[in-house]
Amino acid sequence: MARSMWRGAIQFGLVTIPVKLYLATETGGIGFNLLHASCLNRIQMKVYCPHHDEVIPRSETVRGYEWSKGKYVVVSEEDIDSVPLKTMRAIEIEMFVNVDRDNAGTQFVKAAYYLEPEQIGAKAFYLLKSVLAEQGKSAICKIVLKDREQLASLNPYSNSMLLTTLHWPDEVRSMEELNLPEDQIEIKPSEKKMAEQLVASMTGDFSADEYHDDYRQALMAVIERKVAGEKPEPAQRTEATNITNLMAALEASVAAARSDRRAAKDETKAEEPTKIAAPRQRRRKTA
Amino acid sequence: MQPGVGFTPFDDPAYQFEPWWPGVRALAWVDGGRLIRLRAQGLADALTTFGELTDELPERLMDDGVVLDGWLLTLDEGGWLDVDLLRRRLAGGLHAGRPAFVASDLLWCGGQPWARRPFAARRARLEAVLLDGDRCVVSHALRGEGTLLAEALARFGLEALSARRLDARYRSGAAGDAWLRIPIKPAPIVERPRLSLIQRLPFDENGD
Repeated sequence: MARSMWRGAIQFGLVTIPVKLYLATETGGIGFNLLHASCLNRIQMKVYCPHHDEVIPRSETVRGYEWSKGKYVVVSEEDIDSVPLKTMRAIEIEMFVNVDRDNAGTQFVKAAYYLEPEQIGAKAFYLLKSVLAEQGKSAICKIVLKDREQLASLNPYSNSMLLTTLHWPDEVRSMEELNLPEDQIEIKPSEKKMAEQLVASMTGDFSADEYHDDYRQALMAVIERKVAGEKPEPAQRTEATNITNLMAALEASVAAARSDRRAAKDETKAEEPTKIAAPRQRRRKTA
Repeated sequence: MQPGVGFTPFDDPAYQFEPWWPGVRALAWVDGGRLIRLRAQGLADALTTFGELTDELPERLMDDGVVLDGWLLTLDEGGWLDVDLLRRRLAGGLHAGRPAFVASDLLWCGGQPWARRPFAARRARLEAVLLDGDRCVVSHALRGEGTLLAEALARFGLEALSARRLDARYRSGAAGDAWLRIPIKPAPIVERPRLSLIQRLPFDENGD
């Protein structure tokens, strides 16, 4: 497996369990590079200062915080380092909560990390895991990752534990502006029964292996064809929409006009012609 | 050959009718198995702008030394005619829409001039030498039934009809009644009562 991205210890009470953290997921998209269309060389993003009207090196940039419109205070590396944080190298467990879908806040997840216990802490690690699993609990903790203190939850997962970083409450948007008329909706018992039956008929065990990113696979196939030097012709689409199809559509339109005429001729023998004309036109428009 | 002006669709067994395609009229020269010129009306050579045709048109032709009279069209993603895409392409937008050539008449074939022969013979020869492809086709046409085609085209959203007299030879300049452009009334729309809500608002000359 890849390199661990973080080393530290789970801490609660007087217990310290040294662990390593590994990213549990990766983004599945296909990465592209931007090229100059005429020469196919990688383009460069230059850092540009509009005030001096020149391209500047990244080393000449500093971080600024906009405290008022157009007014910035410069925050240096030293300032950031001087921030006192208890959770520097620790996963500090604040509390344990019941695993429950109403535990507000734990659904707003950012990223998932696998934990690997250092040998010395393996016993305590699995002790904690088994207690969490048996009691149906989840640990809420804090950890500093990428210069930021993060809220996270710690849960038993397979033969390890999963650390899931969460959004802070002030990062979660309010639902106030949404139109959510839950209490105004009346549901009849028969409707509920039908919905329950539908849910029951579609209930099964979720196995993520059965789901695939079809778009990614299709795009990858196109790229592989191009790498192999084939023409990336979207064959099916051109077949469906070329000029011969247009000509066929025109022929069909002529045939339709012809059969309409024939029908109109038959009807005029029986009925008054002006009365037929109006509804015919309307039918044609919707066809 | 420049079309005469027709007034209303008619039925006449002496004429062959086809759509007045919403595109640019063009003459295409194919010689030595290559498309050597594509002269679009009022434009310089369109060969580079319609590069996709240089391979396909000679491939679809069963004869050499051919000059075709037809239309350059542009189709959108859904395969529908799109005049805006055509304008963009003519203005140099190489990848605007999908180009197509619809052939209507034949001036030269097998290195021989065909312009003096009657249109019926030219058209029959055209249908024999040009095989329909993804980008090049012979225009769909109806003999005698101008009003029927006009009805079909109105539903199709096209605005005019082309009528060529079957016994006429290809003339340079005005075609007279040998070739007519006939406008089509759009498909009748059910009249709805209109509300006159436009009211003149008082205009205060002193105010701002």
